[in-house]
Amino acid sequence: MTANVLILCAAGMLVTAYLMVGQKALFTTIRLFGLQSLLLALVAATIAIAESRHELFITAALTVTLKAILIPWFLMRTVDRIGIHREIEPFLNVPASLLICLGLTVVGYRVSTGFQEGAREVGHHLIGVALSLLLIGLFMMVTRKKAITQILALLTVENAVFLVAVGVTSGMPLIVELGISFDVILAVLLLGVLVQRIVGRFESMDISRLSKLKG
Amino acid sequence: MSADAMLAIGAALLQAGGMLAAAPLLRTAIKKMKARLQNRQGPPLLQGYYDLAKLLRKETVRSDTSSWVYVAGPRIYFATVVAATTLIPVLVAAAPLEATGGILLLVGTLALGRFALATAALDTGSPFGGMGASRDMTIAALAEPALMLGLFSSALSAGTMNLGVLVRELVLQGPSWHPGDLLAFAGLFIIVIAETGRIPVDNPATHLELTMIHEAMVLEYAGPDLALVEWASAVKELVYLTLLVNLFLPVGIAMSLEPVPLLVALVAWAGKVFLLAVAVTLVESTNAKLRLFRVPELVSVSLGLAFLALAIRFL
Repeated sequence: MTANVLILCAAGMLVTAYLMVGQKALFTTIRLFGLQSLLLALVAATIAIAESRHELFITAALTVTLKAILIPWFLMRTVDRIGIHREIEPFLNVPASLLICLGLTVVGYRVSTGFQEGAREVGHHLIGVALSLLLIGLFMMVTRKKAITQILALLTVENAVFLVAVGVTSGMPLIVELGISFDVILAVLLLGVLVQRIVGRFESMDISRLSKLKG
Repeated sequence: MSADAMLAIGAALLQAGGMLAAAPLLRTAIKKMKARLQNRQGPPLLQGYYDLAKLLRKETVRSDTSSWVYVAGPRIYFATVVAATTLIPVLVAAAPLEATGGILLLVGTLALGRFALATAALDTGSPFGGMGASRDMTIAALAEPALMLGLFSSALSAGTMNLGVLVRELVLQGPSWHPGDLLAFAGLFIIVIAETGRIPVDNPATHLELTMIHEAMVLEYAGPDLALVEWASAVKELVYLTLLVNLFLPVGIAMSLEPVPLLVALVAWAGKVFLLAVAVTLVESTNAKLRLFRVPELVSVSLGLAFLALAIRFL
């Protein structure tokens, strides 16, 4: 039963990642990220109940409050304030991006079989999904022009690392987890300010314009 | 004729009749729920039947420049959709005419109906008909492979292409809990929205010809011809939703033809289709219609998901 819920949540996270790649409306992308974080929290809570590791409840609660509520709220407020609601044409169009993401998922799944944990049924899917999310996140960071989408891509990578840490290993010490959570929220706050500065300077979120700053 | 064949034909007639009777209710229910979300009263639940009755009583008006293709279009479309209702399991874990074919026949039958309607739309020479047909085909060219790949993903888990056998296997095996199931479901859900002309793709309630897709194709039809098209579209929507709930959530489906399991299956089927209809309504109410050139992007997402659902079973 636990294994089934874990696999279902991991698959849900992969679906949200694909929908994020296929989306250009920033609000929807932010909401999809919130959903992804909610599924991650569900993974942590399921493991906490199944293996009675109570410290994982704190992880789940942190994930929900920070990544499913606070960060999406903050990003939506930023988008609202600068008034830019859509991704401009990315470096790669949507169908081509999807094709590459398919390839990345295949790579992630193949690589997961190389791990000792990846040989088991649940571990195979969890590591496979996490590696795919990691690669898709990196890919989105490279191909998207909007700073907000890049923040979301970074957070997707963070979610992927968290999924492996929670689902496959015996978990990180609570103090490390707290540290990472505050790191993430600080990074998002700083990047949010940076986005507003970029928009103030160039009247656009297009980070490819930053190259004009060179003398 | 053997007794088995008689039973199959009887079941097919019953199932087709039931689906034909239930389909207008589904359409109106979605309209009503959408209206309630917008703080409107909405039409009475029987409005779909009133509309069909009204259209069927009216006289037939056809363009002088149209040929037999125009007359045949709605009839072939209606016939293919009725045929499709007999190829899927609804209440019982068996399709009445499953001996004739499985997934490929179902997809092909629906494609034939779409082809008939598109050629009929071109026949009058009206610019809107041609525009609608070209748009519908653009979406169909992407949606059809996605539909097939998504269904193949389920077929792979049970090892059969026959929908009746497939659902029986799924019930006997229990849920497989494979990531491919969820990916295929997500992909097929987008396909259902695209194929039934719901909002992010097409607006079923629009009166603006330039944004129409499906409506533009049938703009020239009036009276009983239009009634056939509308009715067939409603049945097609019900077929898609039934297929989705029975493939991915075959809970409560009857394994025998006794009255009690059949009654349970009827309630379960109605409940599941209703839940999916609520999901469709929510998507329709919370999204804006996409620009036409963005639609292939959305459908390609579903193609990607369906392909991944198939590929992931080999990884």
